[in-house]
Amino acid sequence: MDIHLFEKLQQEGLISPDSTEKVRVLSRNKLFSLHWELKTILYLGVLLLSGGLGILIYKNIDTIGHQAILAMIALVCAGCFFYCFKQKLPFSWNRVAAPNGFFDYVLLLGCLTFLTFITYLQIQYNVFGTRYGAATFFPMLVLLFSAYYFDHLGILSMAITNFAAWLGLTVTPMRLLSANDFASQRIIYTGIFVGLLLVFVAYMGDRLDRKKHFAFTYSNFGVHVFMIACLAGLMGGGLGSSYEPDNSYMLWFLLLAGATAFFYTQALKKRSFYFLLIVALYGYVGVSYVVVRLLVAANSIEAFYAGLLYFIGSGIGAVIFLMNTSRKLKKA
Amino acid sequence: MISYKSKTLDNLAVVEAAEKALDKTCITAEEFQQIKTAYPVDLYTPNIYMRFGLFILTLVVVFFSFGLFCLIFMGGGETAIAGLTLFFGACLYGAVEYMVNEKKHYKSGVDAALMWMSGGAVTGAVFVLADTHVSLSGMSLLFLILSMLFVLRFADVSMSIVAYLAFLTLSFSLLIYSGRMVIPFMLMGVSLGTYLLSRKLTAIHACRHYASCLKMIQILSLITLYLAGNYFVVREASNEMFDLYLKPGESIPGAWIFWIFTIIIPPIYIFAGIRKKDSILIRTGLFLVAAIVFTIRTYHSVAPIEVAMTLGGVILIALAYGVTKLLMPSRNGFTSEQTDDDKTDAIQLEAVIIAQSFNQQAPQGDQFNFGGGTGSGGGASGSY
Repeated sequence: MDIHLFEKLQQEGLISPDSTEKVRVLSRNKLFSLHWELKTILYLGVLLLSGGLGILIYKNIDTIGHQAILAMIALVCAGCFFYCFKQKLPFSWNRVAAPNGFFDYVLLLGCLTFLTFITYLQIQYNVFGTRYGAATFFPMLVLLFSAYYFDHLGILSMAITNFAAWLGLTVTPMRLLSANDFASQRIIYTGIFVGLLLVFVAYMGDRLDRKKHFAFTYSNFGVHVFMIACLAGLMGGGLGSSYEPDNSYMLWFLLLAGATAFFYTQALKKRSFYFLLIVALYGYVGVSYVVVRLLVAANSIEAFYAGLLYFIGSGIGAVIFLMNTSRKLKKA
Repeated sequence: MISYKSKTLDNLAVVEAAEKALDKTCITAEEFQQIKTAYPVDLYTPNIYMRFGLFILTLVVVFFSFGLFCLIFMGGGETAIAGLTLFFGACLYGAVEYMVNEKKHYKSGVDAALMWMSGGAVTGAVFVLADTHVSLSGMSLLFLILSMLFVLRFADVSMSIVAYLAFLTLSFSLLIYSGRMVIPFMLMGVSLGTYLLSRKLTAIHACRHYASCLKMIQILSLITLYLAGNYFVVREASNEMFDLYLKPGESIPGAWIFWIFTIIIPPIYIFAGIRKKDSILIRTGLFLVAAIVFTIRTYHSVAPIEVAMTLGGVILIALAYGVTKLLMPSRNGFTSEQTDDDKTDAIQLEAVIIAQSFNQQAPQGDQFNFGGGTGSGGGASGSY
């Protein structure tokens, strides 16, 4: 903080000499923080180590050396969890701070090596037999337990992706659209189910005061998965044609509209700009699809012009809507 | 020069500083309110997410407006369309000025979208008018002029990126005739000059409204300074451009100079950053360490990838551990503790990154079995 500025403010009589003194003390003792640099290095280290061990065991799976590597992985995993159990602060349903800067990363390393270990056991010894679901389900339980017990948002999101994977859905953020086959009805219904469940868990956690700060992560995954599944259902029939009217998409549209309204009120209540934006954008895409579909059915040049005008008008409308809502949120 | 009222931006800086002081409980809430009344800011700056949404929606509006425009004037031939596009770009520029001066938009997303579309329309029109016969230097000059206009008028950070890259391309296109051996050194010189200049400008009071643009240019010039001397970049680029037909294992003349640059520049950045307590230098240096590793591994396979990863991971963890212990609780003005207060968002972001990098994909085909049940329709064979 610029002390000269606050001295000037004091001269203008806007702040008391006391406050200026506080600013002076703070700016004199200002430390240069390497916090995020160290965190990033630590994170990369964990990423490389767990990845390296995973490939190491995969490449050596038929040699004698692999048992040594396996023992090492087990040792790292056990060591990490041992450290976490020893260091952790007492459990609580509220936010629990990590006891030190390393705790979160040790836990992450522990969980990752655990996953490697489970995968290895399944491949080599077929522990879960042909019940492949169990091979995803069991690690998910461990992840979920670790997330709640040690209070770790990163592990929680791993547990959520694992849970969705168990049901046959990829919800990894950047691969949500590319890795799922949204032409399949089953994927769409799974998406609706997973999305609803996650939003429900977020809602209940918030209401019952059980790890309230997990709500964002749950609803973030939940809202995206639900809305995308909804849009996939809506657009499943393509743009339709004027020859075969098929109005089943209207059901999807109603579902989308209902969900948009619900999430919108929730976002206002929680005063979340983020959810407000994504819900508004998903809703806008849905409405635009229906309008375009109706115009395609009209099948004329006037409809084409009307479409252009629609996008210009609705775009401006949406801009004004977002600006007003965000003003409202800021003031509230 | 700048389109905003200088006084308003100064007031904004005061209020932002006061907000920080309020967060640290240095000043009281009443004092903050007094400051806000004494230094009024009438700019509209939405939340970062809103900014993103407004950006996208404005793009939609402009795209379809342009489509409508073209439809109305269709049939005029290529030149007419190009002239129209030029006019459209000018209109968009007018729209930015209007949003800034009348609607008081400041980093709202709307302004950036209009700027990008305006610049895109003008360059597109020039392309069509020139029948796509534009030389590299001409093109980069056009980009440079347009983006500099936006930077000077609206202090837009994204446009400062375009401006710097256009400037570098322009220098390159002019230097290309001066002999292939000197190009890397010339580009390094240009980058270094830009870096030093932008540091000088940052300290000048008259440039205070461009602070974030100058910061971005510092980062970029540090990176291009390194890349221009990086062995991988120099070898592959000269191989492509001068048709050297290098075989794997063959090298360019004077390779050792570039190897020295490759390895020594990032540590210099980090060292200088620590001495000057400059986070730009430190972060850029750390980021470029990855480039050292990449460059070395491309030409010299020191160890198989998995061994390198495992060892690298151990080294990084040990390094972070050692530095943290060293800085406990603080040493020579450095600390490993967090000093800024934007904790929640960063942690949420970290959770997303973790979910992304350790991704769990849904099992495919016969691997899939719905919760251990049967007959889920997952695959054609195997474990139904």
